[in-house]
Amino acid sequence: MINPVFFDAAVFASLLVLLSLGLTLTYLTTKVPNFAHASFATLGVYMTLVASRVWETNPYLAVPVAFVLSGAVAVALYTFILKPLAKRGASDAIQMIATLAFDMVLIAGLNILADYLTETFRVKSREFTLRSFDLEFMDLPMIVTVAPIAVAVIGIALYLMLKKTKFGIAVRASTENPDLSGTVGINVKAVYTVAWWIAGGLAGVAGALMALWFLGDPNLGPLLIPSVFAASIAGGFTNIFGAVAGGLLVGLAEVLGTRFLAGELGSWLIAYRPLIPLIIIAVTLMFAPRGITGINWSKIRSRIWR
Amino acid sequence: MAIEPAAIFIIDLAAIFAIYAIINLSLNLEFGYGGIPNFGKVLAVGAGAFVIASMPGRIIAWIAGIEGDYIRENLTVVAQVNAWLLENPVPGFAIFAMAVAMAALVGGALGAVTSYPALRLRGDYLAITLLAFGESIRIIGNNFPPLVGGTLGVQVPDPLSFVPDELRFPTASLVLMIMVVVVYLYCERTIRSPLGRSLRAIRDNELAAESLGKDTGRVRMKTIMVASAIAAIAGALYAVYVGSTIAIAYDRASWTFWPFLMILIGGLANNKGVLVGTLLFVALRKLIIFFKDSFEGFVPFDVVWLDLLLLGSILLAVLLFRPQGVVVEKPTHTLGRPPTDRGIKRVFNLLFR
Repeated sequence: MINPVFFDAAVFASLLVLLSLGLTLTYLTTKVPNFAHASFATLGVYMTLVASRVWETNPYLAVPVAFVLSGAVAVALYTFILKPLAKRGASDAIQMIATLAFDMVLIAGLNILADYLTETFRVKSREFTLRSFDLEFMDLPMIVTVAPIAVAVIGIALYLMLKKTKFGIAVRASTENPDLSGTVGINVKAVYTVAWWIAGGLAGVAGALMALWFLGDPNLGPLLIPSVFAASIAGGFTNIFGAVAGGLLVGLAEVLGTRFLAGELGSWLIAYRPLIPLIIIAVTLMFAPRGITGINWSKIRSRIWR
Repeated sequence: MAIEPAAIFIIDLAAIFAIYAIINLSLNLEFGYGGIPNFGKVLAVGAGAFVIASMPGRIIAWIAGIEGDYIRENLTVVAQVNAWLLENPVPGFAIFAMAVAMAALVGGALGAVTSYPALRLRGDYLAITLLAFGESIRIIGNNFPPLVGGTLGVQVPDPLSFVPDELRFPTASLVLMIMVVVVYLYCERTIRSPLGRSLRAIRDNELAAESLGKDTGRVRMKTIMVASAIAAIAGALYAVYVGSTIAIAYDRASWTFWPFLMILIGGLANNKGVLVGTLLFVALRKLIIFFKDSFEGFVPFDVVWLDLLLLGSILLAVLLFRPQGVVVEKPTHTLGRPPTDRGIKRVFNLLFR
C-alpha cells in the first residue's frame, strides 16, 4: 500500500502547477497579480459538486464545464474591470485591490451558491468531500493518476500552442511588446482576452479535479492563494514554464516537506505548513526576484566547484 | 439603568469607527501620501493586539501574586486580575498605558522589518511580499499558544473595571474617540511638515526627489515605522475594547482589505476623506448586521454574504467610476516656521522632520 501522503502530494502539486500556469499567463498580459485566481478554482470545485450530487453523473464531466465557466468569469474580470482601469492608467496597487474586490464578490457568490445548493437539493455544500464519487483505476482512486496526466497533457499542449501555432506566437509577441504587436496587425486586446480565458479555464479544471481529493469549501480561494503566488513567484512570475517548476516545488515542499520534517522534529511542525509558501514568496522576491529559472546556476556551480 | 438598543448601536459604532479610523489614517500616511502599498497592515494591528493580550495581564498577575498559568487557566487568572484592577484603578491604568506604548514600540520595530523589502522592491512585488509578512502573524499566533492562547484565544483584562458596568462601553468609546482626534491632528501636522512634503514628492516622482537631495529610503522607512506604530496602538485598543484576543480574528480581510476599501472610498491622500470613508463603511456594515433579521426568510441564503457582495461591488464601482473617492486630494498648507525655543524644536524635529 502506498503512503497516502504521496497521493496528497501528487494531487496538490498538479493543482498548483495548473493554477500557477494560469496566474503567470495573466500576469504576463496585464502585469497585475490577480488575487481572485484561486477563487476561479473554487468555482470548478462547485461544478464537480453539482455534477456528482445534483446531476448525479460522472464527476469528470464537470471538467469541461468548469473550463468554460471559470474562463468566462476570468474574462469578465479582465474586460469589465482591469481593462478600463489600465486604460485610465491606474497604478498596480489599485488594480490589485480591484482584483481583491472582485474576489470578494466572487466568494460572496460562491457562498450564496453553497447555501442555495443546501436549501434546494439538500446537499452538503461546505467542507464536503467527494472522494466516494471518484472512479477506481488500478485499485487506486482515479484522480491520483488523472491529475498528473492532465497536467502533463495540458503543459505539452500549451507549450506546442505557444511555440508552434500562429496564435501562440501572437500571444508571445503581445506580452513581449504590446505596442509593436499592435502595429504589425495583432489584435492585442483579443489575444489578451483569450489568454485570460485559458488561464481562468485552467484554474477551473484544477478546481474540478481537486474536488475529488481535498475538502471543498466556498472560502478555499483565500486559503489557496498564497501557495499559488509562491509557485508562480518561485517560477519567476514571467516565465510560463518556470510556473510548472514552481508549482511542483511548492506543492512537494508543502506536503512532503512538512510531513518529513515533522517526522524528524515533531508533529507541532505540521500546523506551520501555511508559513512555507509565505517564506518562499518573501525569500524569492527579496533575494532572487527572477525565480528559480532566473538564477544563474552555472555561475553558482562554478563558484562552488572552484 | 438600562441603555436603549439605539444608544448601544451608536456607542458600538463610535468605537469601531474610532479603531478603524486610526488604522486608516496610518494606512493613508503610507499608501495615500507615500505610495507604499502596505498589503500587510494586519501585521502591525495584530502585533499591537498580541502585546496587550499577553503582557499587562501577566505583569499584574505577578504584582498581585496571582497563582496559575496565564494561558491554561486564563479565565480564572483574568477574573482575579480584573478584581485587582477594580481595587487599584490608577496603577492598573498606568500599566495599561505602558502596554499600549509597548505595543507602539513593537509596531514600530515591525515597521522597521517591513521597510526592509519596502526599500528594495516596488509596486506589485512589494505588495505581495508585505502580504506574506502580514499573513504570517495569524499563523504564528494561531499555533504558538504562549502568545495569545493559540486556537482558544485569551481574555484581556479590563482597565475600565472600576467604571460601573453600564457606563463601561460609553467610557471606552469616549476614550477611543479622543485617540482618533489625537491621531488625526498628528497625521494632519505630519503631512504639512517637511517630512510630509518629501513623502508626497517621493510618491509622485522618486527620481526627482532624490536628485533634489531627499533621502528617499530614510523617509520611506520613517513613514512605515510611524504608521505601523499607530496601527499597533489601534490593534491594542481594539483588543482592550472587545476584551479578548484570538489569533484567527487577525486575518487579511478585516485588517488589510477593509482599511484599503475605506480609504479608497473616502479618497486617497486626504485625512478628511479617510474619516468620511470609514464612517460610511462602518455604518453600512453595522446597519446590514442590525437589520439582518428583517431580511431573513426573503432570500434563500445567509444575509452575511450580501454584505460581502455589496461591499465588493461598491469598491469596484468607486474604482471604476470615481477613482478619486468621495473627498478629493487638495494641496495642503505647509506648517509655519518651527518654534525657536531649542527644547521644543528638538521635539518638533523628532516628530515631524
